[in-house]
Amino acid sequence: MAGSGHAPLREDLEVLLTVRDLEVEFPVGKGAVVHAVSGISFDVAEGETLGIVGESGCGKSTVAKSIIRLNDIKGGTVDYQGNDLAQLEGEDLRSLRPDLQMIFQDPISSLNPRRKIRQVISEGLAVWGDEKGSWSQSRIEELMLSVGIDPKFGDRRPHQFSGGQCQRIGIARALALDPKVLICDEPVSALDVSVQAQVLNLLEDMKKRYGLTLLFISHDLSVVKNVSDRIIVMYLGKACEIGNANELYENPRHPYTRALLAAIPEPAPTVDVSEGDISGELPSPINPPVGCRFNTRCSHATDVCFTDEPEMQRVGDSDHYLACHHPVAVSINGQQAV
Amino acid sequence: MAQVSAANTQLLVRDLTVRFPTTRGTVQAVNGVTFDLAKGASLGIVGESGSGKSVTAKTLMNLLPRTAEVSGDVIFEGEDVRRLALQGREHFWGVKMTMVFQDPMTSLNPVKKCGEQIAETLRYHLKRDKKTALAEAEDLLAQVGIPEPGKRVNQYPHELSGGLRQRVVIAMALACEPSLLIADEPTTAVDVTVQKHLLDLLDKLREDRGMSMILITHDLGVARGRCDEIAVMYAGRLVERSAPETLFSDSRHPYTDALLRSIPRIEQPSHTRLEPIPGRPPELINPPEQCAYAPRCRFAQADCLESIPDISGVAGMHEFACFHPANTDRGREALASNLASGRTATGLEISSAGASS
Ligand SMILES: Nc1ncnc2c1ncn2[C@@H]1O[C@H](COP(=O)(O)OP(=O)(O)OP(=O)(O)O)[C@@H](O)[C@H]1O
Ligand SMILES: Nc1ncnc2c1ncn2[C@@H]1O[C@H](COP(=O)(O)OP(=O)(O)O)[C@@H](O)[C@H]1O
Ligand code: SF4
Ligand code: SF4
Ligand SMILES: [Mg+2]
Ligand SMILES: [Mg+2]
Repeated sequence: MAGSGHAPLREDLEVLLTVRDLEVEFPVGKGAVVHAVSGISFDVAEGETLGIVGESGCGKSTVAKSIIRLNDIKGGTVDYQGNDLAQLEGEDLRSLRPDLQMIFQDPISSLNPRRKIRQVISEGLAVWGDEKGSWSQSRIEELMLSVGIDPKFGDRRPHQFSGGQCQRIGIARALALDPKVLICDEPVSALDVSVQAQVLNLLEDMKKRYGLTLLFISHDLSVVKNVSDRIIVMYLGKACEIGNANELYENPRHPYTRALLAAIPEPAPTVDVSEGDISGELPSPINPPVGCRFNTRCSHATDVCFTDEPEMQRVGDSDHYLACHHPVAVSINGQQAV
Repeated sequence: MAQVSAANTQLLVRDLTVRFPTTRGTVQAVNGVTFDLAKGASLGIVGESGSGKSVTAKTLMNLLPRTAEVSGDVIFEGEDVRRLALQGREHFWGVKMTMVFQDPMTSLNPVKKCGEQIAETLRYHLKRDKKTALAEAEDLLAQVGIPEPGKRVNQYPHELSGGLRQRVVIAMALACEPSLLIADEPTTAVDVTVQKHLLDLLDKLREDRGMSMILITHDLGVARGRCDEIAVMYAGRLVERSAPETLFSDSRHPYTDALLRSIPRIEQPSHTRLEPIPGRPPELINPPEQCAYAPRCRFAQADCLESIPDISGVAGMHEFACFHPANTDRGREALASNLASGRTATGLEISSAGASS
């Protein structure tokens, strides 16, 4: 994977957010750095859901946090409605922050345990001033109702709710600021399957009702496909494949995307189960492989993969891009034709 | 699924009940669980968090806190397991029956080298001398597919990735050649590619050694691909038990049925509307004398609120605990009448588009 380049960026659409060449490093002592995100470019059209999928440590959360400046950015731009969020400071950044809200994986610990949930939901008021909408009790009650929490429980505290209910409260808190973009980092990973569908449906409903644009991070390939219009597959700080959700799963071309789709318990019909047996360990992000970052585990690798980083290129004329020197060719019935 | 007969039965669990007295009341964690396991077979236990999977496993492993009140029978290869504890037979657990947990660090000592930890197990249970034990440890690491085992024996757990650590734990569990391995969510904390490697490894070891396995998971897909039989738990009870394909194509318990419908599937187009299960799992303190699933069940009728359905059916084929089973005439009638009135016997509002949440 190792893919850089701007091919997947779109010009013909109402693009709301464009991340260009994003680079994030974390110093880890003795002069070493973790190359958490190394040159990723993507955009999100207004009203679209962009899914980010990939294994633990590949940089999904770092991308999300960089957009809302929860970590330092080494390079690149984050264009939001004509402003570079990566450069903004002070009042200018403050005034845009309510537009981009985030919900987290661990629903219970992301809520302040000492507060009543009606205070939790109106937390943004104290931080962002009251210029964003009216903070009447009726607004809070409306939000609670819309996420399916009975307003009569407004005086209870987070620990009195289940994980699924806390995630609903987290969503209400994010919506209170009337955001345009909602960034969801593994929002259902900590929930039981029976409750997961409730929260996924709620996010779809809220998206329609409030006209939201969503960035949805998950390591679960089925969940990501269900909610997303478009998906980025990440590996070791790079993007390997980007495309329309249905197209990507029907016609996966990158060896790593195919490995993921083959390794899940009920493998996708478009891949061969044996493709899920990628060898070796995940390389260290402190010393990532040169060339294609997937080269240490890829059964298709040749010499060029160890010297040249593949650039993002379009596949045919569909909304589908990948960064690989030897894309896997697939025929209609799912048999590999290479 | 393997038919259990006296000759090839390895484990018999009868009417197992576990209660925990707490300040808030008694937690009825496991309620009358009954199942058999044939030698060499693999049983998947699935259910959401709190349904009693781990407590069941810990009961078999004699790992419950002293406060737990246990009743029922656990018979392993003809021996009464609950009496072994009283007889001080500590070389049973970890030898014949072993367990792997979700978090490998539950089983590993962070300040001891991996090889030493495995060697210690061998020395404690099998009285091996130090040198033999260390050599066997290295061999075990190779058997579980750890590259460069000679180097890994001298590494500490924190120097290994999560997947390798879990392999070390599996190696440790296998050290004394157990005939039953209980794996409690062994791959929940790892990535899908690592999960596939670990589950492939467990399959292979089971085959090579004729070992039986109980695989506890909340992931129905994992159980489907890896087990001969699946038992579904809800609120401390087994509510359905059958071969995986029967469960997936012809489920009887409304909870199993609803669970299968609520999971997003990779072959569905994006934005397919999911059918969530309304509500949430019940409290296990002072549960009412009714079907525990009734408040969330689209099929619920008046009789579901009067008593608790027993699990029944053809033992070893397909068993379920429900008065109005899904995919039967009785169930279809119940659902049709609930849909006609727009609500179930518990007052849950439902419509044909799926239950309201
Ligand atoms: N504050 C930090 N200091 C040092 N390294 C960090 C820090 N935050 C993240 N990293 C490293 O950066 C890389 C990307 O981490 P990130 O949290 O973005 O991954 P992720 O894809 O969200 O993984 P997960 O699926 O586990 O949440 C990892 O190697 C991680 O260990
Ligand atoms: N030591 C304990 N004391 C009190 N309650 C317990 C104890 N261990 C487990 N429980 C309760 O027993 C029920 C079943 O737990 P468990 O078997 O761990 O569920 P799971 O199916 O998630 O593994 C839960 O309600 C849990 O809170
Ligand atoms: S074929 Fe080469 S470029 Fe493509 S994923 Fe494999 S190593 Fe990377
Ligand atoms: S139909 Fe009745 S017995 Fe069956 S699961 Fe529903 S409530 Fe329980
Ligand atoms: Mg993350
Ligand atoms: Mg458990």
